[in-house]
Amino acid sequence: MEFISVKDVVKEYETAVALRGVDMDVEKGRWVSIVGPSGSGKSTLLNIIGGLDSPTKGSVFIDGVDLGSLSEDAMARFRRENIGFVFQQSHLVPYLTSVENVMLAQYFHSITDEAEAVEALNRVGLGHRLHHRPSQLSGGEQQRVCIARALINSPKILLADEPTGNLDRENTRLILELLKKLHSEEHFTIILVTHDPFVSKWAERLLTMEDGRIIKDEPLYC
Amino acid sequence: MVVSVAMGTAIATSLITLSLDIKGKVSRELRAFGANITIEPKVEGFADIAGQKRYLREKDIIKAKTIFWRHNILGIAPFLEEKAKISFQDRKKDVTIVGTWFEKELPLPGEKTTFRAGVSTVSPWWDIKGRTPDKSSVVLGVSLAEELGIKQGEEVLLDGKPYVVSGILSTGGKEDEQVFLDLDVAQELKGLEGAVSRVLVSALTTPMDDFAYKDPATMSRKEYEKWYCTGYVTSIAKQLEEVFKGSRAKPIWHVAETEGNVLERLSILVYLLTAASLLAAALSMSTTMAASLLRRLDEIGLMKSIGADSFKISIIFLSEAFIIGCVGGLVGYAISVGVVKFIGLKVFGAVLEERVLLLPVALVSALLIAALGSLLPIRRALRVKPAVVLKEAR
Repeated sequence: MEFISVKDVVKEYETAVALRGVDMDVEKGRWVSIVGPSGSGKSTLLNIIGGLDSPTKGSVFIDGVDLGSLSEDAMARFRRENIGFVFQQSHLVPYLTSVENVMLAQYFHSITDEAEAVEALNRVGLGHRLHHRPSQLSGGEQQRVCIARALINSPKILLADEPTGNLDRENTRLILELLKKLHSEEHFTIILVTHDPFVSKWAERLLTMEDGRIIKDEPLYC
Repeated sequence: MVVSVAMGTAIATSLITLSLDIKGKVSRELRAFGANITIEPKVEGFADIAGQKRYLREKDIIKAKTIFWRHNILGIAPFLEEKAKISFQDRKKDVTIVGTWFEKELPLPGEKTTFRAGVSTVSPWWDIKGRTPDKSSVVLGVSLAEELGIKQGEEVLLDGKPYVVSGILSTGGKEDEQVFLDLDVAQELKGLEGAVSRVLVSALTTPMDDFAYKDPATMSRKEYEKWYCTGYVTSIAKQLEEVFKGSRAKPIWHVAETEGNVLERLSILVYLLTAASLLAAALSMSTTMAASLLRRLDEIGLMKSIGADSFKISIIFLSEAFIIGCVGGLVGYAISVGVVKFIGLKVFGAVLEERVLLLPVALVSALLIAALGSLLPIRRALRVKPAVVLKEAR
């Protein structure tokens, strides 16, 4: 069985249809990029895979677990055990420092461990910015805090929605290099949504979406 | 939010403090209604017809200040009522003469202080134009004075003895037809030294409840002790009966019941106001909390996206409510101390007792307000879909 399996997923809103029957499988430890124009349904698909949203029809299996069978709290438990998120906006708690933001994910997972949180921030190159609040960090630094927070509980999957969308080319490259390094060390699965060809080519596989459907599925060789 | 909680707590704590003190204060104010217990000789009626009219002993009066509830005895006045003939110029009339103390300081047994007794302590509304009577004067009821055409300063004869009219009394009751003398003078006039026919007592009492109406004769020993040691008008009357030899003490029910009803309703009003203030504060807290959570929906969405379940998110916001409750409780208690002092001075002319024991009550009230006010907004906020709020926050 595939590690991530999306079967005939449809997502309808009151005024629009975001997904029109999407099927996809992802092997464990792969890095997959999803590209497509705005409104093609790539972020909706990512949210449904992460359990942040539910499909109107169809099902999503992760490591054999049918996400549709989980209650809201069971989904939250599943998410904290298995999935890490990185969004386009850094989405950090503004009144917490870098290390506290990372420890927040530890708190929701089990217990907090400041030394471990500091180590995670060291790994993303922010050892010198431990006690700075988000407003005192640059965009690239905020995204690195988000990556540290997403990976602190050793998830099996990292879901990234336009993680470099607000960054310049240099910071984009730094973030992608960091992700590549961590991916090669920890072997988690990455699904990354982007519309930037520079970002998408770092993946091992590229899915192209249009109008709520996957229209192209191609391997990439870095 | 702290302000909502503090104001709610301040009002609730102030009202609770007032409710604890207000009964005593209002009860004391209600003593202006006059006496609420009358003590009479045990045997009258047939014995009286047979020429065996009974009297109480004047020397027993001070014993009222020796009973268990002696501190609740606020006023006491003896009355000796007898028939006599009044003469003024060529007019004569059979009247009731009443010997009493208008105001008298009684030395308290075993103490260096005195106790003010007399009509002014049990019937403060008596209106005397002129002076109270001394050894050679009397006070006439206004109706009697008008009927006989007597004015203040003129001389009348009572059973042939001359007395100057020192004042005219108006009460609107039967007293307007009577003649009032100093108790000693009336006793001497009628040859009844040391005798009184009736004693009126004004006592602070606990409002009557169902238990108070029980017949003491049917009570168990434990019930009787509880009844005896509660300041019911009936139990105070019973204790007075025990110290007045050959007496029967009865509550003046229309006064006692009116007081009881007023105090009861006042208590209910205070309790309802307390509940209303707590509810209003909780609603205010709830509205503010809801507005605050609305601004923080993306934070909740973020927490959910990194794996927080409803319980852990609730714990975070309830902890905030707990801190707000503690701070609000302390501030509210401090405000209530000032409010209670102000109300005490303005309404009752005295400082109401400050009760440190109410601090935990204030804190519990504040925490209740904070918890009740937060539960619903938190519950509602937890329903947000993280995908929706995080998208909106972009």
